[in-house]
Amino acid sequence: MATPLLEVEDLKTTFSTDNGDLTAVDGIDFAVDEGETVCIVGESGSGKTVATESITRIVKEPPGRVEGTVRFKGRDLLSMSEEELRQIRGNGIAHIFQNPQEAMNHCYTVGWQIAEALQIHQDVPDKKARARAVDLLDRVGIANASTRFDDYPHEFSGGQKQRVMIAMALVSDPDLLIADEPTTALDVTVQAQILKLLDELQDEFDMGILFVTHDLGVVAQIADRIVVMYAGKVMERGGVLDIFEHPAHPYTQQLLNCVPEIGGNEGGIPGTLPNPHDPPDGCRFAPRCSYAEQTCRTGGQPEELDVSPGQRVSCIHYRDGRDPSLLRENAPGVESGSNGVSSADD
Amino acid sequence: MGFGRYVTARVLWAGVVSLIITTITFLLVSAAPNPSVQEAATQAALQGGDPAEAAERARELRGLDQPLYVRYMDFIESVYTFDWGWSRSRSQPVTEALGQGLYYTAQYSVPWTVLTVLIGPLVGVYSAANMYSWKDHAATGFAFFGYAIPNFFFGIILLLIFGVWLEVIPVVYNTDVAVFSVQNAVQLSIPVFVLVTGSIGAVMRVSRNESAEFQNAEFMKTAKAKGVSPLRAYAYHVMRPTLVPLSTTLVGQLLALFLGSSLLVEVVFGIPGIGRVTYNALIAQDTNLLLGSTLAFTFIAVIGNLLEDLVFTVLDPRISYDDR
Repeated sequence: MATPLLEVEDLKTTFSTDNGDLTAVDGIDFAVDEGETVCIVGESGSGKTVATESITRIVKEPPGRVEGTVRFKGRDLLSMSEEELRQIRGNGIAHIFQNPQEAMNHCYTVGWQIAEALQIHQDVPDKKARARAVDLLDRVGIANASTRFDDYPHEFSGGQKQRVMIAMALVSDPDLLIADEPTTALDVTVQAQILKLLDELQDEFDMGILFVTHDLGVVAQIADRIVVMYAGKVMERGGVLDIFEHPAHPYTQQLLNCVPEIGGNEGGIPGTLPNPHDPPDGCRFAPRCSYAEQTCRTGGQPEELDVSPGQRVSCIHYRDGRDPSLLRENAPGVESGSNGVSSADD
Repeated sequence: MGFGRYVTARVLWAGVVSLIITTITFLLVSAAPNPSVQEAATQAALQGGDPAEAAERARELRGLDQPLYVRYMDFIESVYTFDWGWSRSRSQPVTEALGQGLYYTAQYSVPWTVLTVLIGPLVGVYSAANMYSWKDHAATGFAFFGYAIPNFFFGIILLLIFGVWLEVIPVVYNTDVAVFSVQNAVQLSIPVFVLVTGSIGAVMRVSRNESAEFQNAEFMKTAKAKGVSPLRAYAYHVMRPTLVPLSTTLVGQLLALFLGSSLLVEVVFGIPGIGRVTYNALIAQDTNLLLGSTLAFTFIAVIGNLLEDLVFTVLDPRISYDDR
């Protein structure tokens, strides 16, 4: 099997704060293959954004501290110097962010900012950089691209700004695009257009996409594989169909339960995220989990167990000799017929 | 509505402002008794003549018997044609006297302004980049010190140290040395230093606080993600938006110091600049010269504010010219 485009191993990001260290991402692993879309899913505050910003270390250091291994095309990014890393940022790995309203400098034209992203990495004359930027603006669906090049960010709408940000990210032809909730700040119709655009561009530019979102509707639309994060840990991972049809972890099940389109109850998940300064022992989700038992509350986060090919879950109920069918009964996407099968007590 | 029309409107407005100020000045002067008329009357009385008749003649001679609006038109005309009258105390035209003063004022004002404009924002942004480090605290301490200590007092202390005790600079400014000579640079270094410490404090603080906001802005994360180096990020992405609010402070500070403190500093260091010319005119009751320097300072302030407005719109593209 070929090496993945991006391989993250035991990534840990800690912030030193006045109240002591805060571990936002606590030893997670995942990989993105070439041309593949991987979604990191989880509720706000679960460490998704910090995880993606730790990859090229654009997270602020200090107060942040990134440990672990991040291999991009086989090269370890975390052992690189700042200067080597700058060659990767924007060039091999590009970012787009959640809030397009704030993501551009209001003092420069959008064209200048796109050209900057190109000219930092390549010795391109202004004229060619302009042509390339106009070309990309046109490609991401900005009408009259050659005149819009000289407009300032405040002259664009939110959706257009995100298109400009995408053009800026693509200008150096990256291999990996990290998209951190790129549609969250946009209204639903614009959201659909941006997702469609990303999908088209992914084929055209042949790039892997690491997509962060809390919106499972978006996930269903674009993901190949899913990584479910909770409180800095990975709860479950797998192909998009496996996760949507047979969510294994109680957290994933409850998360899917919150999606009204697939028969969710809209009630949300009772409780809140644990205090990141003092995470609970055992499974991070145990305090909010209705299936939690004593074993769940001791030790570290349970090891990941295979539940189906490519689908792994970090939950003790899937250990050998256990009966996980108990967890399945409330899960969405399960046919009603299988409901009465098990009523075993623990 | 374009930039050109905005500039035209702003320039016209500056003209109106200067006209209003000139008018107020005229009204104040015409309401006050004219010392030369009184002098003529006293002279006549001493020599046994008729003081009332002498006063009348003096008034006629100076056109003071004309109706107010005629005198006003004459005054306005002479102001805008730079025919600012004769300085009695210096026995030369007012414009010439002001020109001579400006010659010396420029010698320390140009380096002082350039240093403030260059160093202030740089140190301020550097301070923000190293916020709460000892470098930041040192810069902040220096800024507050310069802001708090009165310029004339600081000048006297430095003059005492470097002029009297160490004897590296003359106690009274030496006008005999060439403008571009080491000697001149040395003797001007202390007044320049005093004025820079006075003006740079506010500039540093404003640029520090503004850039502190911008260095944490989302667009800085975008820049970092693009692969922009920290130096370039500060030079382009922080400095530029910082200059917008800073331009207001900068012009305000420079003008306030130029109009106020330069007079005190010139008196302390004995520099025969425009501040001293004004001061001496006041002491000698030289109305024409005083009027001339008041107008000169006024015009400088009006032009300064005009430039500030124009720079503001050039720096921040979001400012619209439309409804102004």
